[in-house]
Amino acid sequence: MANDPTSGRPAEPGDSADLDPAETLRMIRQQQEAARDATEPDGRVLFGAWGLAWLIGYLALWSTARDTGTPAAWAGWVLAGCIVGATGLTVAHSVTRTSGTRGASARVGAMYGWTWFLAFTAYGVMLGAMGDAGASSEVQAIAANGFACVIVGLLYLAGGMLFEEVRMYAIGGWMLVTAALAAFAGMPNTYFVMAVAGGGGFLVMVAVEQVIRARRRSPGTAERTEGRGA
Amino acid sequence: MPEELDPVIHAPARLRVVASLAALGRGDEVAFPKLRKLLDMTAGNLSTHLRKLEDAGYVRVTKTHEGRMPATYLALTDTGRTAFADYQAALMDLLKGAQG
Repeated sequence: MANDPTSGRPAEPGDSADLDPAETLRMIRQQQEAARDATEPDGRVLFGAWGLAWLIGYLALWSTARDTGTPAAWAGWVLAGCIVGATGLTVAHSVTRTSGTRGASARVGAMYGWTWFLAFTAYGVMLGAMGDAGASSEVQAIAANGFACVIVGLLYLAGGMLFEEVRMYAIGGWMLVTAALAAFAGMPNTYFVMAVAGGGGFLVMVAVEQVIRARRRSPGTAERTEGRGA
Repeated sequence: MPEELDPVIHAPARLRVVASLAALGRGDEVAFPKLRKLLDMTAGNLSTHLRKLEDAGYVRVTKTHEGRMPATYLALTDTGRTAFADYQAALMDLLKGAQG
C-alpha cells in the first residue's frame, strides 16, 4: 500500500476524495487484502511447505524401498528432516503473521496448533507400542502412513469447520481418501501414494489458493469485499 | 451525491482504517503498532482518526498492559461493521447508477 496516494498526506477531518466509486471499492479491496496478509497465515506457504515435505520425504522412502522392501535409514532421516522443517516453518509463519492480534481467532488458533502437537505425540507413542508388541515392519509402515493421513485429514476437517474454510475441509476429506489408498497399496507403494496423493494434494491446494487470490484481485468482483463476519 | 455516504468513514484515511479492521474476524483486535505499520500512517495521525471513529461508536479502543508495557488494541464494533457494510452498499449503488 506504500504507493497509495491517500496514505501519505495529513488527512483533515473533512477530507473527502473526489468520489470515484469504482476506485474507492478497489482501494477497499486492496486494503483488506493487505490487512489479511498482515494478520492471517498464507495458505500457499503452509500448503507448499507440507506438500514439498511429503513429496520429497516419502519419495525418498519409496525409492529406497523398491529394491529391498524396506526403506534405507537415510531416507527415514530425510522424511524426518522434511517434517521438522515444515513444522518449524508453519509455526514461525503463523506466529509472525498473527502477532499483534488477539481475541477469538487467536485463542482458537493457539488451541488448534496445540491439537496438532498432542495428536502427533499420541501417534508416536502408539507406533512405539505397536513395535514393542511385535508388529512387523510392513504393519508398522501401513499404520504409520495410514494414521498420519487420518490425523491430518481429521484435523483439516476440524480446521475447515473452525475457520469456515471450505478449502481446508476439502483437503481434509482428500487426506482420508489418501489414508485408505496408502493402506491398501502395500509395500513399498504405500510410500508412493503418500508422496503423490498426500504431498500432491497439498501442492494442488497451493495452485487453488493462487487462482482464488488472482480472481479476488481482478476487477468485476467488487460485490462482496467487506471481509468475514460482516 | 456524497451526502448519501457516511462522512465518518468517507475520509480516505479513516476508510482505510475501517476496511482494515473489518478484515479481522468478529471479536478480534489488533495492536496499535501493527495497525500503524499496516496503514503506513504516523502514530499521531492514526490516533486522531481512531478518536473520531471511537467517538462515532465505530471503533472500540482497549488500553491494557502486557507485562509492564502499556498496549492499545483496536477493533471494529458491530455498529462500525454495519456502517462499513452500508457504505460499501452505497458505493455499489453509485457505481450501478453511473453505469446504468
